[in-house]
Amino acid sequence: MDFGYRLDPGYIVEHLGELSLGLVWTVVLTSIGIVGGTLFGLIGGALRSHRVRTVSPLIAAGVEFIRTTPLFVQIFFLYFGLPDIGLKASGFVVASLALVIWGAAYNVENFRAAIEAVPKEYHEAARALGLRPISIFVLVTLPVTIRLAIPSVTNTSVETLKNSALMLAISFPELTDTAVNLVAVSFRVFEVFITVGVVYLLLTAGLTRAMREIEHRIAWTL
Amino acid sequence: MPTWVGPVAVYMAQGFEATIVLALACSVASVVIGTILGVAMITELSLLRRAVRLYIELWRGLPLIVILFFVFFALPAVGLRLNALSAAGTGLSLWGSAVVADNVRGAIQSIPRSQFEGARALGLGWITTMRLVILPQAVRRLLPPTLNLLTSLIHGTSLAAQLGALELLESARRSIQRLVLDLGQPHSLPIFATVMIVFFAVCYPLILLSRRLERRLHV
Repeated sequence: MDFGYRLDPGYIVEHLGELSLGLVWTVVLTSIGIVGGTLFGLIGGALRSHRVRTVSPLIAAGVEFIRTTPLFVQIFFLYFGLPDIGLKASGFVVASLALVIWGAAYNVENFRAAIEAVPKEYHEAARALGLRPISIFVLVTLPVTIRLAIPSVTNTSVETLKNSALMLAISFPELTDTAVNLVAVSFRVFEVFITVGVVYLLLTAGLTRAMREIEHRIAWTL
Repeated sequence: MPTWVGPVAVYMAQGFEATIVLALACSVASVVIGTILGVAMITELSLLRRAVRLYIELWRGLPLIVILFFVFFALPAVGLRLNALSAAGTGLSLWGSAVVADNVRGAIQSIPRSQFEGARALGLGWITTMRLVILPQAVRRLLPPTLNLLTSLIHGTSLAAQLGALELLESARRSIQRLVLDLGQPHSLPIFATVMIVFFAVCYPLILLSRRLERRLHV
């Protein structure tokens, strides 16, 4: 079959530099998004499940709002809306912030669910041993929570990786933005998108495998 | 109320309408195609199963915006002309159908084996078994994830703005550009905040309904 389109793999070789740089930015953004999102998600999830007055309901409402509105619109709001009231930040800061907020919103729920799944007996036993509440959380609840939360945190992390592609909205030069700009100029759509598609699938597979490795390392030793 | 609000609201209402139409069209396409593919996943034909598995892994594994741009650029390259809205709809349906297919497969496989055996013992054929015994039970379990998918598709329509399709987000962007030209002020904060609130107002009831159905399933 002839669609009047001839593949030119040489095009990718010529533009390997730009694409690699895009990949580096994607990895950087994703890393910031995963680390920040997991950390704030854990703190938020802990506060949420311990029913701290006024703080917990506020976190819950924020999480609901973030999860119920599109990340794509949130990015526009942060980048184009906030400068209206004098809050202007660079593309890198907005991209990182958007990914961290989004990841944290999902991880709050992941960690809250995990904390609530920790058997009550653990808590009771720790109290019977005379541990203070803060020690109970750090020494007993937290280690079990992290083990229980890893599968859902993995999903959120993979989504964070894919969400980094949305930063082309603010022309941040990550992988997808680079790819779209190349295609817009050259129309080498199949070469570019097959390359980028394979890279994303490999990154996703790698990230999933790394998380599973961590899960195995710290598997139930209780 | 400032005078710019009226015209902008009217313009964005048109964008909102396109968002809803796009979301509904993609939902129908995703559910129909996804159900067929999901049922194909539990047939005995291993080649068919493998092909569908590839389809699911491919579209679920890629960022949605990459799929949309791929469809937008690739179809014209092979001689198919699509406007931005249809290209976005095609991309969203590819992704949505992959999600539905995986959900349908999971729901069917969660139906106890004895249901299949019972139907066979009664002399029902494969299609009749599916239609009368398996699918009606699977549908109950499929409702919550399908409502979640609907929410994701509504969220996903905002990506069509990047292709230039005139939906809610794009209508907001164009309004802002217009306001800059006419008044010299963008008013982006209230306009983008409105877009978020509209998405929230549409999606939150769906999410609440999905949670309620999910809870009822576990009782």
